Amino acid sequence: MRQPLRRRMTRSFAALSLISVLMLPAAAPAAAADPVVLRVGTVQPLDAINAYLTEYFVGYEVFTLNYDLLVGYGKNAEPAPGFVQSWTQDGNTWTFKIRPDLKWSDGTPATAEDARWTIQSLLDGQAKNGVGSVGAGYLDLYLDYATVQSVTAPDLQTLVIKTKTPNTQILTSYIPILPKHIWEKREIGKDPNDAPVVGSGAYQVKEWKAGEYVRLVRNPYYWGPKGYEDEIYIQFFKSDAAMAEALKAGDIDYARNVTADQFQSLTGLPNVVTVESALSAEANAFTQINYNTYSKPIKGGGASTKALQDPAFRDALGYAIDKQTLVDKVLSGHGLVGSTIIPPAMAGGAWHLEPANRRTFDIELAKKKLNTAGYILVDGKRLDKEGQPINLRMVVPASSASYSASAEFITGWWKQLGIQMTTQSLDDGAVSALEKAPENDPPGKADFDVVIWNWAGDVDPNSLLAILATSAIGGNSDTFFSNPRYDQLMLLQASEPDPVKRKVLTDEMQQLAYDQAPYDVLFYDAALHAYRTDKFGGWQLQPEKVGLPLFGYGSPGYNTLTAPVPLATPAPSIQAPASTAPGASAAAAAPVPSGSASGGGSGASTGNSNSLLLLGGVALVIAAGVVIFAAMRRRRSAKDEE
Amino acid sequence: MGSRYLTRRILQAVLTIVGIVLLNFVLFRMMPGSPERISHNPHASVAARAALRERWGLDKPLFPDQFIDYVTATVQGDFGESFKFKGKEVTTVIAGRVWPTLILFGLGELIAIVVGLILGAYSGWKRGGPVDYGGNGISLILYSMPYFLLGMILLVIFATTLGWFPTAGMFTLGQTYSSFADQVLDFTRHLILPLAAVSLGLIGQYSILMRSSVIETRGEDYVTTAKAKGISESRVLRGHAVPNALLPTVSLIGINLGFIIAGAITVEVVFSWPGLGTLTQEALEARDYPMLQAIFLILAITVVLANLGADIVYGRLDPRVRT
Repeated sequence: MRQPLRRRMTRSFAALSLISVLMLPAAAPAAAADPVVLRVGTVQPLDAINAYLTEYFVGYEVFTLNYDLLVGYGKNAEPAPGFVQSWTQDGNTWTFKIRPDLKWSDGTPATAEDARWTIQSLLDGQAKNGVGSVGAGYLDLYLDYATVQSVTAPDLQTLVIKTKTPNTQILTSYIPILPKHIWEKREIGKDPNDAPVVGSGAYQVKEWKAGEYVRLVRNPYYWGPKGYEDEIYIQFFKSDAAMAEALKAGDIDYARNVTADQFQSLTGLPNVVTVESALSAEANAFTQINYNTYSKPIKGGGASTKALQDPAFRDALGYAIDKQTLVDKVLSGHGLVGSTIIPPAMAGGAWHLEPANRRTFDIELAKKKLNTAGYILVDGKRLDKEGQPINLRMVVPASSASYSASAEFITGWWKQLGIQMTTQSLDDGAVSALEKAPENDPPGKADFDVVIWNWAGDVDPNSLLAILATSAIGGNSDTFFSNPRYDQLMLLQASEPDPVKRKVLTDEMQQLAYDQAPYDVLFYDAALHAYRTDKFGGWQLQPEKVGLPLFGYGSPGYNTLTAPVPLATPAPSIQAPASTAPGASAAAAAPVPSGSASGGGSGASTGNSNSLLLLGGVALVIAAGVVIFAAMRRRRSAKDEE
Repeated sequence: MGSRYLTRRILQAVLTIVGIVLLNFVLFRMMPGSPERISHNPHASVAARAALRERWGLDKPLFPDQFIDYVTATVQGDFGESFKFKGKEVTTVIAGRVWPTLILFGLGELIAIVVGLILGAYSGWKRGGPVDYGGNGISLILYSMPYFLLGMILLVIFATTLGWFPTAGMFTLGQTYSSFADQVLDFTRHLILPLAAVSLGLIGQYSILMRSSVIETRGEDYVTTAKAKGISESRVLRGHAVPNALLPTVSLIGINLGFIIAGAITVEVVFSWPGLGTLTQEALEARDYPMLQAIFLILAITVVLANLGADIVYGRLDPRVRT
């Protein structure tokens, strides 16, 4: 027994010493002939490199790099040349012109036939399985919004699209054009589109390691401006704290969606620029409180009180929500006070309406409105019209701390009205399941009173407006709101060719939804990004001055990058919250450089988490030292006693 | 070793695995929420969801159709296509994630076992000495510290502040290597911090257990006898005390080895280490049934096998358990 053990110990020591040799820090290998690499960090992973299968924001970023959209996006998110160079509209007929020298990344000529084939395949898919059935079902919807009826390619440089109504929505459609010679044998909605990808966009996916990174390389045949980088790595982090550290260390050049704390600790660091934007594609979303207005009784489910079906009740509750406080405390100031269901970030503010009669925070007024509406206070408890005390069940998804933090504030305010609220934080999937109505497939029980969650929009208002339409019950509806006038307006605006007239209709819808309040939009979160300036220059914001460099509409930001530009002064922080959003009380004027004191009036800061960790490390070493010292002393004194 | 003991143990292990295969199916489908509702995106139309459910076979009845499909496929080693990473085979994704975890946690365990046991044995033997106080104190601190915190401290000190090591991943992205040795070196640089976090966290566990175990055996009659025979201190420790004190640690090693595959998710999260732990987390969020089933099956099998291994080693070390 003795021998083998000793031998084992010796062997273990040998292994240990081998490891310790390996552990010597090594110098990074020389990088002389290496390609110029842009490294972008994000916490959201990629789910697919088939454009028609992806459901994630990152997926859109990747496919707009791979492929040209039929019509692209410019630096202010306006329609710009994409796969097509120019276009003309004549009533229901659109004529697009394609560059004569356009090529796919494999060198094959790209023509109008490719575009015709792509669009026709989508139309065929819709004819077979219904609208919204191709792949993940997001992109083919755009053809439906644009009421596309037929597509032809009279010659290699001309594409003709006929629509049912003379609208302009084809210009904002996210339709990536696929190479026919590659996809002819594939099914658009199913093929994994394994790397290497062939497209006409600026960079092509060469490698995708699920959950790790996606690598894109320059398309030598790309028609547009050439970015400084030869390759792009989008790296998927599991923790935003780790991503922020990687940006500080220079291991990545861009960090998408950092937290307010990290934003503050990154602001003012040398070679780092932080960007805050509530007006970019990334911020085209709202966080809302949604009420269960389902009107029929549901066995074993449904809302706990009929009061939630009453617009007057919901309206009154709106006066007991201090949205400015939510923005200040929950978002640390990084966002705008919410109002209507079209965010100010949508299409550069083209569709957002500021409601005429904005609810102000006034608990007394809320009480008065509740009394007037017939919800009286008895023994400190607010009763519904059936005479039962109103105790609301709030459900929030656990995916963002902002939901449960908002719930805490709102619970406090509503308590002052005599309304008790219990909050349950559940995994997103579980909240979704509770929100299903009996009309859904599989049927649900609409088993909640209120939920705080968010919706993300599109460059066109259609998709967000549709959530409150009666037709959404059984689909996306999470309020079961139904209003005949709203439904009528929904149809009218969708087929209105004149943007000015359409805006009148969408304004009425926003105002109606605001007054009826199935949703109370709490805030529009700003997106917080950061990038380094020591490896790349030429970062351009989309929209100009108020947006973000990357993760916008299309992906023009990658093509403007240059070699680093030496800076005379420390890199400022760009803060562009609210300049074009009227009514947002925290509005600042255009971009404000703000040295190290960023945060837009965030009040009490949470301090620098890094220095805390450093302190922790030092404390650990000291603690260990003290323990050893104490032990030595005790041992010495024990010896003395002997 | 009795062959009946061995057969019984192996039979038990096989039965357990069969049970896990069946449980695997029920468990994930009992979770609230379903994969096609995860994406909270206004674009998702009813038709798209129906198509998705059909593609994933979720439109069929849970029993018997889905269940039979699952068992047949599992027996054939076909775990299907991931729901989340569209167009990727589950086996391909998992294969890419197994070895990073194996290297990180295999090495971490090895270092922790060697260092932890030596430290524990020595401090138990020299109870009350400086090594005991220092070692035990540090062990306790490390043992009680969450991996996430330990990892973040290492990351902030050695990667961000000192810049000695990279902050994330397994390789420097976009790096071209002049030789294989260069690549290994780059990998090693990325490995050191997460490895340190794993082994530091585990050392405490082993050393504390070993220490108390050695202290116990120190008082045993056979140790006194050995000392009385005039055998040197160190030989008594290595020849008499340690082998007997090893027994409880074998169980611990058995249990821990089972979790090598699962890894410490938080270490992988902090260092963006592309292992199975983070994959499990991602799959859970997306209700990626095929991925979850495959991961949990692999996980369960390794735990069962590691326990079987521990049982066998235990049987060798202690003849009493063989009956």
